[in-house]
Amino acid sequence: MTDAATLPGPLAGLRVLELADEKGQFCGKLLGDLGADVVKIEPPGGEPNRHVGPFLDDIPHPERSLSFWHYNTSKRSITLHLATADGRQIFSRLAGTADVILETFRPGFLASLELGYESLREQNPRLIMCSLTPFGQTGPWRDYLSSDLLHMAAGGEMASCGYDEADVADAPPIAPGGGNAWHMGCHFAYMGIMAALVHRTVAGQGQYIDVSIHEACALTTEAAITNYVYRGEVLRRQTGRHHAAGATPRTQFRAKDGTYVCALVGGRLNPKFVRDLAELLDSYGMAGDLKDPKYQDQAFITANTSHIIDDLVADFIASLPAEEVYHAAQARGFTWGAVRAPEMLLDDGHLHDRGFWKQVEHPEIGRSFVYPGEAAIYNGSPWRISRRAPLVGEHNTEIFCDELGLSRGELLVLAENRAI
Amino acid sequence: MSLPRALENIRVVDFSWVRAGPWATRWLGALGAEVIKIEWPESERGRLPSSTTPQNLEVNLNTSGNFNDTNVNKKSLSLNVRSAKGLEIVKRLIDISDIVIENFSSRVLRNWGLGYDELCRIKPDIVYVSMSGYGHTGRNHSYTTFGPVAQAVSGLTYLSGLPDKLPAGWGWSYMDDTGGMYGAMCALTGLYHRNMTGRGQHIDLSQMVSSVPLNGPALLDFTVNGRGSLRAGFPPGNRAHWPGTALVNNYRGPTVAPHNAYRTHPGGYNDWCVIVCHSDEEWQRLVQVMDATSWASPEKFATVAGRLQHQEELDEKIEAWSMTQEKYALTERCQAAGVRALPVQSAEDRVEHDPQLHHRQMYQAMEHPALGLHKVQNAPFKFSATPASNHLPSPLIGQHTQEIVEGLLGYSHDELRAGFSDGTFWPTKRARFPYMEDMLQ
Repeated sequence: MTDAATLPGPLAGLRVLELADEKGQFCGKLLGDLGADVVKIEPPGGEPNRHVGPFLDDIPHPERSLSFWHYNTSKRSITLHLATADGRQIFSRLAGTADVILETFRPGFLASLELGYESLREQNPRLIMCSLTPFGQTGPWRDYLSSDLLHMAAGGEMASCGYDEADVADAPPIAPGGGNAWHMGCHFAYMGIMAALVHRTVAGQGQYIDVSIHEACALTTEAAITNYVYRGEVLRRQTGRHHAAGATPRTQFRAKDGTYVCALVGGRLNPKFVRDLAELLDSYGMAGDLKDPKYQDQAFITANTSHIIDDLVADFIASLPAEEVYHAAQARGFTWGAVRAPEMLLDDGHLHDRGFWKQVEHPEIGRSFVYPGEAAIYNGSPWRISRRAPLVGEHNTEIFCDELGLSRGELLVLAENRAI
Repeated sequence: MSLPRALENIRVVDFSWVRAGPWATRWLGALGAEVIKIEWPESERGRLPSSTTPQNLEVNLNTSGNFNDTNVNKKSLSLNVRSAKGLEIVKRLIDISDIVIENFSSRVLRNWGLGYDELCRIKPDIVYVSMSGYGHTGRNHSYTTFGPVAQAVSGLTYLSGLPDKLPAGWGWSYMDDTGGMYGAMCALTGLYHRNMTGRGQHIDLSQMVSSVPLNGPALLDFTVNGRGSLRAGFPPGNRAHWPGTALVNNYRGPTVAPHNAYRTHPGGYNDWCVIVCHSDEEWQRLVQVMDATSWASPEKFATVAGRLQHQEELDEKIEAWSMTQEKYALTERCQAAGVRALPVQSAEDRVEHDPQLHHRQMYQAMEHPALGLHKVQNAPFKFSATPASNHLPSPLIGQHTQEIVEGLLGYSHDELRAGFSDGTFWPTKRARFPYMEDMLQ
């Protein structure tokens, strides 16, 4: 077999134009890291997300946003002012060279510049355009403003996340952090774009895709919808575990080092599970009375659920560091895990074995940094970060002159007239 | 004439179970692929245990509501793959398929005699997507996950909650949903690559690993700046910043206030609204909506720095107002004025009250032979040329065994009957469903 590391990515040869802010930049990264030539089209001066922190050494600057760095790997950048006639004309020419356009403008904006899908496809019938917007192109909320927090509220995430009353009295519903509303939208947008690309390999024609982030979020709450649809149940929030119609046993236990372990025990307590659990605890001398034969009776187990979970398991986990509980339990077949802060992942041996962490060069500052890598290993067409996030307009000359054929003089005029 | 579908003529051999794998193939089915679910009632996980069977129905293999929603657009072949005959049949199916997808533990398919090398011998350009918890390579490949464990180990759980409290985490298996997304994304990417190059491949997806890049900015803050997430004021609940702690970005966008959830009238469990102002201008619009110039006009609230510094007081005052408003009315008033606000919505709210999801036809009723007529979740992408659709209810277990074995694979009716007698298509000691008896006529 060929050495996979030398092969092109699965999307090699695809040209993507990305006109995306925080809503769509992750989709561009997904495409770029898998080999597509993603050209990010930014307004002159740069995309506003360059102003979102944290920043390199905490010095705010459009080229130092770590958030922008993460979400814009493997892309090239050009600047273009679409509100100018020159900008529109150049964009239209670029669209003629593109396989995919990904855009996150408010509905109708590109069409108002005569750059909507119907106009662009006339010169490029193979073009696929994906509009990824908060609520889609139609409907009463079409023009509503949004944010990550707003999507987590309306999408249903917050209604399912929070605390047991005993842990935090009167707690609000909680929106998980990290900008996951944008991830949810981008996963579906990527899927839609790939489906359209597969179809194009057969049919030869492009198409338009209208993706709604609100719908993506509303689809991402597992069984919340089906509990309501089939049983009329509205689920309650619980600390660190599944929403439920009625209270379920806790799954999060404090370890000796002050961090937590996610230990799935409740709902699984049968004689075999208890025997295995007794062996795990006993290997640390913490089995208590769990090896007593009376625990081979299901009725006895059920009657002593709270003792098993709140005394034995809780005490066992409290006696050890979270990482040790995690590995010892998994080695014995328990689906348990340490609740880690992200930085603890840097020490994860499994991720190292998979070659997950990538050194990414930032030649303009003469440094390289460690970035997270691939979700999946493609054995025939590898994922890779082909370059760090681009500087503002870093590829203006390369793309406008070398590829599109403008002269350096024309570039000068465009710059002086604020078209690029 | 009906429109074509994006994955017309694509066939998927789907060994997946529980949730993440079936959620992946659900979308391949919605996009038009023929998804053939290989099932065996003795080792079934996904139909049972069921906590979503309607109260008036018996819990059995065909009455899980959540299974139905997760498995629309698929066919079911009940087959004992761990028998020589069953293995032979599934190999004939793979030979005429495009994609094999599974989410077992890392060595299961290989132990059945269906490792990637063998799949290639059967179908040289097969796209094989494995979706195990930790992937097929790496020292912990044999570890197992459910969504909550993948979320815990990858750092996702930790990013959700109030500072100085336990992690609130995610109230469901977010990484079963998202792991399913990645399964479908990998399958489509592999399929596109195959169509372009003629070559298949093995795509080794890991549920745990796929969660890690979702923490990208937090990870870079550590690898670049050395700042970890184990720090005072983090995670900041629903806020962009926790009052009284160092002003740093908390990985959810710009550091602004207001940025929180507020109680609304009449104060029920899900009567909450979120409000965010990304600029002073948006804040001034909110002040107008609240008619709050009396308390909001002082200098301390005029700037984002001031609002962050006085966030406790700010949030108290906003909530005093929001508690007089019903959450949908508050949303409409704010949005009409250009203020970012939306209601916290329960499942009931989304299905019954959300005007946007209603307009976009996100929940369309579909008849299922055992469950009856119920709403099924629709696709979030609208294609101009190849619409995604829900065109088949979830299959009854083994419902399409005859169609696939005789119709697709060309076995005779006698061979089908023999396979039911010898335990290839259904355990001999297990009662058959009436539709199976019909197949044997």
